[in-house]
Amino acid sequence: MKRSLLTAAAVLVGLSAGGPALDAYLKLGTDEGGRLVNLRWNTFPVRYFIVNRDVPGVTAPQLQQAVDRAFATWAAVPNVPLSSQFVGFTSADPAGSVNANVIGFQARPELDRVLGATTFTVDTATGEILDSNIFLNSTFAWSVAAGGEAGRHDVESIALHEIGHLHGLGHSALGETELNAGGRRVIGAEAIMFPIAFSAGSLNRAPRADDIAGISDIYGNDRFRAATGSIAGRVTKNGAGILGAHIVAFNPASGKLVGGFTLSQDGTFVIAGLEPGPQILRAEPLDDGDAGSFLDASLNIDLDFRPAFYDRLVTVPRGGTSRSIELKVQPK
Amino acid sequence: MAIWLLLAQAGSVARAGRFEISGAAIWTGGYDAGGQPALETRNPSTGSSPLTLFTVDSRLVAAPGVEARLGLYLSRRLLVEGSLQFSRPVLRSHLAADFESAADTDAEATIASYTIAGSALYHFGRGRLRPFVKAGGGYVRELLEDNAAVVTGAEVHTGGGLRCALTKSAHPLWLRVDGAVSVREKAVAFDRKQKIVPQLAGGLSWRF
Repeated sequence: MKRSLLTAAAVLVGLSAGGPALDAYLKLGTDEGGRLVNLRWNTFPVRYFIVNRDVPGVTAPQLQQAVDRAFATWAAVPNVPLSSQFVGFTSADPAGSVNANVIGFQARPELDRVLGATTFTVDTATGEILDSNIFLNSTFAWSVAAGGEAGRHDVESIALHEIGHLHGLGHSALGETELNAGGRRVIGAEAIMFPIAFSAGSLNRAPRADDIAGISDIYGNDRFRAATGSIAGRVTKNGAGILGAHIVAFNPASGKLVGGFTLSQDGTFVIAGLEPGPQILRAEPLDDGDAGSFLDASLNIDLDFRPAFYDRLVTVPRGGTSRSIELKVQPK
Repeated sequence: MAIWLLLAQAGSVARAGRFEISGAAIWTGGYDAGGQPALETRNPSTGSSPLTLFTVDSRLVAAPGVEARLGLYLSRRLLVEGSLQFSRPVLRSHLAADFESAADTDAEATIASYTIAGSALYHFGRGRLRPFVKAGGGYVRELLEDNAAVVTGAEVHTGGGLRCALTKSAHPLWLRVDGAVSVREKAVAFDRKQKIVPQLAGGLSWRF
């Protein structure tokens, strides 16, 4: 068994200068001899400890309750077997514990744009997650108020994002941002797993279609796979594949948006967990944040193309994959 | 008036138990296919309404098709018939107002639409020109591209038409034009609203 400590991207208050050093796909993965191995838990419940440390506005028991609600939200996704169990309070370090799953506050003033982060110990041969820790940066102001609290970040919302990582989800690119004086600000997002958080005082406690498709793609049972389908294809520019394009499938019947990425030089992609029926496809460059917060920063991600729609409605078959499509984009 | 009387006298009167086959070219009207815009949840500090990623305006486009019918006269005026229709309309979504300025695009999918129906036709007059009214119901089966998804549902229709005898014999050939409105509970669309679909048909009938 090869153990490896990995650090998943945190949810950010703005775009940090340096991207996280991790393959962060929609599903987190690790490269094993050129083969991508997805990270996942093989046994449930996930047993976790809470750091017995209060911060202004949030006690350790309040943190535990918020974390419990966040775990329960993920576990409520249909057709996935997720479960968790609170073991007890601990004084362990939430950023460096091994052989235990520890969640808690930690003061990380040097990470002045990072609200929280998730680390893993994984079996890199199989992708099994052996343990995972989450820290929430107590340098920021936090709240567990049911309706949120102005100027304070909502623990449950951020815990929901980090527990998504803990389960093996990477970042979603389903969000729009703008540059402002302090970095990058999110204007809108349609995924809990978007890497930049809404402003302090906001609540974001419900997984969207993209999050549900992602977690179901990792853990979904046969019933899920029989009820949903996939779109497969390529994104090309001047006849060549594009690496790192963000593809969005949209179902106008339900309003659900589900994203994916082209993950190889030939521009191929697969978006799974889609509702059967006709869908709209749209491709865009990964320019709403540091591309490294979505994919491995060392990859040669192509940002030089204009967003474009596919000119056919793509019919997703129930329990199957669409015919392969080619979405052609133009350079900027 | 004299011409009308001549035409009327030239018409052939059907008897109960006679059959009729007919074929027609049809035109099936389009309808609003509904659907929603692509929305993202707004960061509350940047506004209150959802962020529109792009808009979608969808329509099933009117299309030609073909129809075959087999009828049985129950009386001189009353004909019951079964029919099979086939057409290939296009579901078209106009994508616009992209938040990141993607060019407006029409995304399309071709539908294979089959309708099997039964109708009762009541004829007026006895001459060569015979107007009629009709009503009936049927079953619509629509397949999206690659037969990857299927929409099925019942339909009811009502309308009328006119037939004109082209030959004068015991087995006359008729020119027949129909107009009808079909109400469908389910149809290829992005909403679940009832669809009202106009139809026109023109073709030939032969009684034997």
